[in-house]
Amino acid sequence: MNLKPSTHYNLNPLSARPLSPDRQQREVTGTNISRRFFRDKYPGGEQIDIRVKTRWKKILAGMAALTVATVFWLPCLHFLFLRPLSTFRQEEGISSQARQLAARHLQLWNDPVLREAELEKMRVSNAEWDFMGRSYLVWSLANMALRDPAAKPLYLRTMDQIIDETMRLEKQEGMYFFLMPYAKDFPYVMQPAHSLFLDGEIALMLATRRGVEEKPEYKPLLTERVNAMVERFRKSPKMLLESYPDQCWMFDHCVALDAIKMADYLDGSDHSALIRDWLAMAKRKLVDPKSGLLVSSFTTDGVAFDGPEGSTIWMVAHSLQLLDEDFARDQYQRARKELGAITLGFGYAHEWPKSWPGMPDIDSGPIIPVFDISAGSSGMAFIGAASFHDDNFLTSLAATLNFAAFPARSHGRLKYCASNQVGDAALLYATTLGPLWQKVKTGGKP
Amino acid sequence: MIKPDLMRLRIFQRAEFLSARDLLQRAGALSAMFLAVHLAGLREFTSVLNGTVGSVAAGWKVSGFLAIVYILLYLAFVILVPILILAAVILTIGKRWIRNEENPSAKPDTNF
Repeated sequence: MNLKPSTHYNLNPLSARPLSPDRQQREVTGTNISRRFFRDKYPGGEQIDIRVKTRWKKILAGMAALTVATVFWLPCLHFLFLRPLSTFRQEEGISSQARQLAARHLQLWNDPVLREAELEKMRVSNAEWDFMGRSYLVWSLANMALRDPAAKPLYLRTMDQIIDETMRLEKQEGMYFFLMPYAKDFPYVMQPAHSLFLDGEIALMLATRRGVEEKPEYKPLLTERVNAMVERFRKSPKMLLESYPDQCWMFDHCVALDAIKMADYLDGSDHSALIRDWLAMAKRKLVDPKSGLLVSSFTTDGVAFDGPEGSTIWMVAHSLQLLDEDFARDQYQRARKELGAITLGFGYAHEWPKSWPGMPDIDSGPIIPVFDISAGSSGMAFIGAASFHDDNFLTSLAATLNFAAFPARSHGRLKYCASNQVGDAALLYATTLGPLWQKVKTGGKP
Repeated sequence: MIKPDLMRLRIFQRAEFLSARDLLQRAGALSAMFLAVHLAGLREFTSVLNGTVGSVAAGWKVSGFLAIVYILLYLAFVILVPILILAAVILTIGKRWIRNEENPSAKPDTNF
């Protein structure tokens, strides 16, 4: 049988160039029996056979190369976004990322037009975010003032501006201004209506401001709000106060108790029995038995609405640090085990433990399928990881932030496009938290 | 006559499917598309990821669509483009290695 091709074909179907003698030889060497059969039986079969086979070989080679490249690249991807932890958070002083985030927030509070546009975008989805963005910024600036005394006057000025404007809006527009519309659907169980969400966070804003430097005008405002909360705690049969009509939140209770604890520190009052009793009740009645995590919302009778949620528990663990350090650490470790995850070097958090699946809502944010990543829980996980010095998790969360939150830097200011003002303020808090809690816990001079 | 001159460059000529040049062309096209949407400012719309509208004026539907376009092209740029480039390098090296194995005296073929 004559194996020598009668003509010399270029195997590239898009090119009509003749093959080199070397390549002709290689093609002949690769001939096999089926190819011979096909070529001998059909006129012109040789051309088609060689082209098809070579084309398939090239496609398979290309696919193999793509597979190898994928297997190599995916585990390396996170290195592109990994930064030393010190760029995100430092034990002392202020990290570069904190400075840039703070610069962006200070710009918003100095530019009413810019602030209005930013707040409007958030209020379309959730009026609470407008309020919480203020709270997180004030708490962050308090910690920054303690970390960087030289910049304290600027931070205090901004804190006062935020507190005054927030209290003015609350007085002028009513408490519903910062609540979601469903707050008006039913009457509050306890009258007159109060939202622990607003009272607790405003009280903690006032307390943190005074914790950095005393402001006499804020003392009666804090005392009045704390006394009102304490009175309602005592009046409530189960020690559970509403943020929305017959809807109570763990987040708000812990923040409110922090404010009461801070008031004790600042003004020498003593509500330790109230705090102790509330914690004992929560451990007894508000813990999900399967995960051991505190549930996130419940009725005034203590019936759980939602189970444990990432968007709540990370901040709750941080807040508990001021109230019960051991319980706080226990909650963080359980949350880390049930909700935290690291895949291919990227850290993230789920909204719900496997034992209590839930539906996406305004707090969880959209859930990214397959990995069950919750934007809300992942953002708040920074606060938990920073509070408990979980550096490995925090570093991997920061890598995810750089990868998937779309940082935008301009003139020394940083914002995350995939976030919003409240998200960035919570991140700023994660980069700066620590000194204020430390000051209160060690009983330093107010 | 810029267009014909450009078209004469090999990088703009149609390459064989899954050849090294084909992979590089796809990587280049994805990079160019990502650069275009990035320069157009579509990054701002990614706030839909946390449930915040990218632009109140544009509304949810338009903001969501622009966010998806940006996110897909961004993921293609940081995940797919390096894979395509790495695969092209692997193919080129593999091809040269096979050629050298078959015919050590053959001149290197740059027509990948």
